[in-house]
Amino acid sequence: MTTNPAPAPAATAAPEMKTDQMFINMGPQHPSTHGVLRMGLTVEGEKIVRAEPDVGYLHRGSEKLSEVRGYHHCVVLTDRWDYISSMMNNLVFCMAAERLMKIEVPERADDLRTVMCEFNRIASHLLFFGTYGIDIGAFTPFLYAFREREMVLDLFEMVCGARMTFNYIRLGGVMKDLPDPWCGKAKEFLEHFKPRLKEYDDLLSFNPIFLDRTQTVGKVPKDQAVNWGLSGPNLRASGVGYDVRKFAPYASYRKADFEVVVGKDGSCWDRYYCRVREMAQSVRIIEQILDQLKPGPVQGRGVAKVPKPPPGEAYAHIESSRGDLGIYLVSDGGFSPYRMHVRAPSFINLALLQESLVGLKVADVIAVLGSIDIVLGEVDR
Amino acid sequence: MTAHEDLFTEIKAGYPKLEKDRAQVEPYLTLKVLAKDVAAFFAFLKDTLGFDYLDMVTAVDWKGPVNRLGYITEPNPNPFLPDGATPQVQQAPAAPNVAYRESFEVVYLASALSRGRKVMVKAEVPRNSPNLPSLAGLYKTADWQEREVYDLLGVTFDGHPNLKKILTPDFIQGHPLRKDYVHQKDRYDD
Repeated sequence: MTTNPAPAPAATAAPEMKTDQMFINMGPQHPSTHGVLRMGLTVEGEKIVRAEPDVGYLHRGSEKLSEVRGYHHCVVLTDRWDYISSMMNNLVFCMAAERLMKIEVPERADDLRTVMCEFNRIASHLLFFGTYGIDIGAFTPFLYAFREREMVLDLFEMVCGARMTFNYIRLGGVMKDLPDPWCGKAKEFLEHFKPRLKEYDDLLSFNPIFLDRTQTVGKVPKDQAVNWGLSGPNLRASGVGYDVRKFAPYASYRKADFEVVVGKDGSCWDRYYCRVREMAQSVRIIEQILDQLKPGPVQGRGVAKVPKPPPGEAYAHIESSRGDLGIYLVSDGGFSPYRMHVRAPSFINLALLQESLVGLKVADVIAVLGSIDIVLGEVDR
Repeated sequence: MTAHEDLFTEIKAGYPKLEKDRAQVEPYLTLKVLAKDVAAFFAFLKDTLGFDYLDMVTAVDWKGPVNRLGYITEPNPNPFLPDGATPQVQQAPAAPNVAYRESFEVVYLASALSRGRKVMVKAEVPRNSPNLPSLAGLYKTADWQEREVYDLLGVTFDGHPNLKKILTPDFIQGHPLRKDYVHQKDRYDD
């Protein structure tokens, strides 16, 4: 948490009329910050000369908490980081813990994990699609997006009873097998969803006003994106095809044929459209996995009620909906992790703003901030 | 495993004073460098071997099991046990073969995205003077990640442009992720 900074040096492009610098607080209750994020903006007229994102309002110390809880309890903690895509958080923690405990996951459990993660990606990207429209000033797409998002959440509710904070993926497998009508419902949804993507394009993606607001704003060149450690759609929009699902395939992604969506110049629109196109790829993955789903156990053998993995260290990372989500886990042989560190993509993506906002107009701050797609639960952990 | 050996030989060819860490982080090659050489080593990795993407910066406090004083009374509550029964797990037993010591281990993960390789790098700093060079000049992503390590563990990164607290509020004294951190009661308790 920071206090107001000293005045920054004047913007390089000398304005014709000299104005005093002004410090503006945006947030922490501003609706477009999607949570409790405060931006300290120093402006010269309309132009931003310095931007300082201020995080930590939602810090719950989950890394410390994990040091006094058992491994099964930690899965519950993971739900609360990125509460929009909890399945992926469950998965990455379980993968790291399984690596420590040397547990094999049955094939069907891996398939179910993949399917759930991809559904969760669709739900998460739909939320982005809807709220980004609102940020820019288009309210209607939000209602369309939530219509489909509800259906995905209904599918999750059928399988684990929760619509958020699922705790479905457990150490060694998943909580329980699919209920009988689930696969049919899921395929029904996919058939319903595929034509909707075209509808989204008509509604928002190629809307001229939306294009004007986003296509030339907030461009992040390739080398800058890599140097700032961006990941996920933010990195791919800049033209770097880094996707953990291809780079180091986990769960059942090896079985699925899909392409890594890459943008051109890393503008806000590119970041937005990467996500929209990724939803189509998620649909492809789910269809392929569901088609070859075989019956079998969904829980691996050898998961203790109070696991005490042998001393050692492991790192696991996955492609979450926001980027490369990693867990660094150290065990000293006790019943709780000795140290758990979350490589939180939202946190790392957000750091870019202090550089990329400089020189933009105040109204563009919201366009850029929205396009980075952060979840404050994950930024602050 | 051979891929690890190849990478190790390749790095060692350009940077001879290098060794593998005792504790390898599954599934990556884990290297150990001296704390004062961290910046030079990463400059070599980035410029010569194309490790241009820094995934993660974090640190581990090796002082020993965590001090529960002040913020947790019952480590593993089980509401289903009948009254008076002994809890299933009382306290984490001290592991015999873990090298607890008075130091922090700073852990880096770097990637060469174009060649699909990742490497873990560890540097150890003593607990009484936890200083090491900052990587913020090489990788801008180190900026916030080093601030986080500084805030939560109190490791100081020399040469960092803006080293100040980032996650915890201003009134918090000390560094919460240190194993001997004791929570001080504030106005948010009770």
